[in-house]
Amino acid sequence: MAHDPLLTYRTLVTHFTDFLTVAIHTILHERNIYPRTSFLSARKYNYAVRQSRHPKVCEWINDAIAAVETELLKSAVDRVAVVIYTKDLKPTERYMFDVSRFPAVDPTDLDTRLERRGENGDPVPIVPLADMDEQFRATMGKLTGCRGVLKPLPEGCTFTVAIELKSEGQPPVGHPQPWMPVQPELSETSGEKHTRNTVHPVRAVAAGELVFESWIEQAVDAT
Amino acid sequence: MAQDYTEWLAINVLNEQQLVSYRSLSRALKIHSNLAKQMLYDFHRKQNAKKPGAVHATYLITGTKRKEIPTNVTHSQRDGDDTVMHSSPPLPSSSAPKPDEHDEEPIAVQTVMLVKEENVSQAKRKFESITGIHIYSLQAKGLGDIQTLTECNRKIAADYASEDPLEVWKQYGTIQNPNVKRRTQRRQPPPPPAPIAKEAVAKATPAAPTTKPTTLKKEASKDSQDSKPASKPSSAKATPEPAKKPPTTKRQGSDIFKSFAKGKSKAKAAQESQESAGSTPKAAPEDEPMASFSDEDDADEGDVDVVEDVSKVVDGKSKKEREAELQAMMEQEDEVMEDAAEVTSEQAEAVVHEGAIDKQESQAAEEPKETVQVENGRRRGRRRVMKKKTVKDEDGYLVTKEEAAWESFSEDEPAPKKIKVPPTTGMNKPTTAAAGKKGAKPGQGNIMSFFSKK
Repeated sequence: MAHDPLLTYRTLVTHFTDFLTVAIHTILHERNIYPRTSFLSARKYNYAVRQSRHPKVCEWINDAIAAVETELLKSAVDRVAVVIYTKDLKPTERYMFDVSRFPAVDPTDLDTRLERRGENGDPVPIVPLADMDEQFRATMGKLTGCRGVLKPLPEGCTFTVAIELKSEGQPPVGHPQPWMPVQPELSETSGEKHTRNTVHPVRAVAAGELVFESWIEQAVDAT
Repeated sequence: MAQDYTEWLAINVLNEQQLVSYRSLSRALKIHSNLAKQMLYDFHRKQNAKKPGAVHATYLITGTKRKEIPTNVTHSQRDGDDTVMHSSPPLPSSSAPKPDEHDEEPIAVQTVMLVKEENVSQAKRKFESITGIHIYSLQAKGLGDIQTLTECNRKIAADYASEDPLEVWKQYGTIQNPNVKRRTQRRQPPPPPAPIAKEAVAKATPAAPTTKPTTLKKEASKDSQDSKPASKPSSAKATPEPAKKPPTTKRQGSDIFKSFAKGKSKAKAAQESQESAGSTPKAAPEDEPMASFSDEDDADEGDVDVVEDVSKVVDGKSKKEREAELQAMMEQEDEVMEDAAEVTSEQAEAVVHEGAIDKQESQAAEEPKETVQVENGRRRGRRRVMKKKTVKDEDGYLVTKEEAAWESFSEDEPAPKKIKVPPTTGMNKPTTAAAGKKGAKPGQGNIMSFFSKK
């Protein structure tokens, strides 16, 4: 990964979306959404990862990530979720990436350099992005290890990418519309369902300005 | 000491839920690898006695596989062939090059297999005779993707980069070639890493014996079909094996570089004591690409001395230029080389510049000499040839310049070898006596006639 001398919000988002792409491929592989044989071994962040070979899958993921990126650039996203559904379209698992701690940047400032300031206004040296790879690697390690932790998925599961937006801001409607509004089913905000989820923490990444947390929620339903 | 390992393992495997291989354990506790393997086994047994399934193990089985002829037939039938194939299709779990034909004497194939503990009994059945079995790694939860084991080795390489492998091999029990010794002086200027990708391809090489087994092993590993590591126990470098576990050939490229850079799979660190060690194996693989481009190897050896004497004009800029060029070329290599690049560039800086100056300066020095030589009345004649030289800018751009140069030729085609820098500079390395030979294609009679003139 590049050690950007010029850290802008855009590069931050790019790093994150790259990571998210790899994470999605990994999740698909680990949870057997697509046959394991359709995955190629690749290398990212100096770590062995799996990448899907199917062109449609890759295309879909890339489109989804592009849409997420658009929303991220608007600083409107609270959380990104990769949701696994069963055949009956019941969500069983959610892989959450909490990005609410990303700096909220004006759209005009997307390419300005980010600098953290202390309370008295002096520039504070930020954690270098050098260990960002390290942290991503650790997160990938955790994600790949989730296979042993989570109970196996039933056959025929599918997945999608969802974002939860911050309360302020515009919903992404318009034409063409990449996002479909859905009812919160398994989210933490819906009170009664909350107690039925088991949560497995994955990793809290803090590399410079790139601060996000990730965890796995699993529905405890027997079905 | 006995209690340490239990504690250390408890912390790392159970609490931190890390993947611990016997190698990590041996490096962390500074013990012999075999002892580490025993400790892993002991811990595994104890923990599972206390609570079954607390710790999962991955085993390494070495042995000769059973030749499964019926299976081969099944394979070919599955492929939809009507006739029974005589040449056996590769067994999916075979990690070593397969024997060629049923008809011929089957070549003894030693297989090294990594298996998760669930599959051990099944895997054991596949073997005809097992020469060794030991625990490779422990983890708290089941191992998901077997290639996550590569992370162990990467961590070792990163964390213990400062240790000199030639000193600690006794302690850790790494397999050591007794003929390995550090070279004190850089004799061969290294070409840029671009041809390193070709190292694995270059077969015939008169390089130093240490690199020979490594090279062969690299090629053998390139033959391996799946993610299980292939290693010939006879190989002198056992430690780079797991580092080559990742199935991508790109990674093999970096491991080749890594192991050549140090002779072991430890990461490259820029240390004075390791400079020459780095230079030795580094020089040797670089001989290979040179060898593949020319068969002047023998001539090179003797000629380097002369070249080094000649090229004493040290230009600080060219040194840095060379360094930067190497670094950029390394970065241009796959992202694989990234890790290698940073560390290697430091080493390269220490190690390469000396040689680099040789090359750079020799090239400069020889061009006028070339003319002189030519004018001494070579009966081959001379002509003006546009030569392309690729150099690196300050900005990091590779600039290919065309320069007119006088050149004696006994051939018709001096041009092809000018396309790449390494062979170019490799060709330049020989002395002025050999300078006229630059125009000669290797392996043709004219070269010999050239020598006869001397």
